[in-house]
Amino acid sequence: MQLVGITKGYTVADLFLPVLQDFSLTVEPGTITALVGPSGCGKTTLLRLIGELEPYQSGQIIKVTEEEGPMGYLFQEPRLLPWYSVLHNVELVLRPWYDSKEKRINRALEFLQLVNLEDYARFKPDQLSGGMRQRVSIARAFAYPARLMLLDEPFQNLDTQMRWSLVNAFLTLWKQDQRTTIYVTHDVPEALLMADTVVRLSNRPMQILETLTIDTPREERSLGDPQFIAMQARFYT
Amino acid sequence: MNRSTWITKLITALSVIILLGIWQGGAIWLDAAVILPSPTTTLGALATLVRHKPFSLNIITTVGRALQSFLLIFMVGSFFGILAGYSKKVHAFLVPVLVICKATPVMSVILLAFIWFSSGTVPLFSAFLMGFPVMFVQVEQGVQLISPRLREMTEVYGFSPVRRLVHLVIPSMLPSFITGAKASLSMVWKVVIAAEVLTVPRYGVGSRMQLAQVHLETAEVLAWTLIAIALTALGDLLFQAMLSLPKYILTLRNRNRKVELCN
Repeated sequence: MQLVGITKGYTVADLFLPVLQDFSLTVEPGTITALVGPSGCGKTTLLRLIGELEPYQSGQIIKVTEEEGPMGYLFQEPRLLPWYSVLHNVELVLRPWYDSKEKRINRALEFLQLVNLEDYARFKPDQLSGGMRQRVSIARAFAYPARLMLLDEPFQNLDTQMRWSLVNAFLTLWKQDQRTTIYVTHDVPEALLMADTVVRLSNRPMQILETLTIDTPREERSLGDPQFIAMQARFYT
Repeated sequence: MNRSTWITKLITALSVIILLGIWQGGAIWLDAAVILPSPTTTLGALATLVRHKPFSLNIITTVGRALQSFLLIFMVGSFFGILAGYSKKVHAFLVPVLVICKATPVMSVILLAFIWFSSGTVPLFSAFLMGFPVMFVQVEQGVQLISPRLREMTEVYGFSPVRRLVHLVIPSMLPSFITGAKASLSMVWKVVIAAEVLTVPRYGVGSRMQLAQVHLETAEVLAWTLIAIALTALGDLLFQAMLSLPKYILTLRNRNRKVELCN
């Protein structure tokens, strides 16, 4: 996917305040790209533009064929319908794609199993912990036949252990179906362990400061490696 | 039933007994059936009323009026409530109507309506005017309770408008619909009977109450009041039963499912 010359801003009292000005970015299809930047730099806005949740003033978003079609979006919160069970929440998004209810339920259960929640399929979201709810939303996003995955800090607000279990749940599902993923975060170690490409961003108006490509396979990565220590250091200068 | 529910029930029963005791005591002390007849006299009057011929017709007419105006309130209040919830312009347009409806004394609405309409229509019209703002405000607030975040989620996952309505809008607004319906229903009974008292249409609980009062049949007035209370309570009970129906059906369905799984 290519973003070319994107400009997005808000007009406040006749004054145009740019969040993104002539912003361009290339994302390799079938990879995970992490966008790392300070809070409020505009990375969430960028994600919302790609997800067609907000319009932009100028520029172009060019997708390759396999990225065309429905998108999966993981928000900071799980955003599950509180009146439905976990299973129903996942099954519901599959309705336009699978005519048979049996197929939908089987697919939903399959993905709930992958995030270790098959025993909780009949529970309501408010009967689960925050981490479990977010796992449901990961299962929902992957069960949905999205061609593009957009992640807006979905692992925030959780303790470290829960966070890693979610990152692993995500990577397990991703390895089976390597969808182009754009991942917004301000957590450097998480980005370095998850992404193929890490983009370091500036404050508003957001610009790319640096693009790091990580070739080391995910299983072999360690934050203690000199290579990763050096990479982390670049974010804290 | 556990111990604490027993105790609460006992306390409620005790309260009823004390109220009846005060009534009986007052009747004995005043010793004038015209001012305050005893509970037994009132029950006697009630028994006579029930045996009297157009009894059921009076009740049916009042219930009919209450239900008609309630249905009208429910439909019109929901319709405009939803519109105003989504559009600030509609809200602004309806504010004066609402203020007038809320601030006008029930009695002046009834008196004015009596000038404009026939006596049978007055209860309907007055109840509608009084109940409409209650339903409207609840539904309008209900629209604002629909989570914008969940709405965005339905956009991302490509929900059609119908699917969004069924799975997000209606479940989000259900509590508001229920609260609005409950509050307007209990208001409707009171206004319908008050309007009947003032306008005395041919049939109706309020008309009978008024006639009894004119003839200083205090026991009969009280008997009709008991009937009015019973009607309101019955209405509430039916409403509650209606609300628990879907849950009941769901448990039945789940039970059947479990049986299927076991086989």
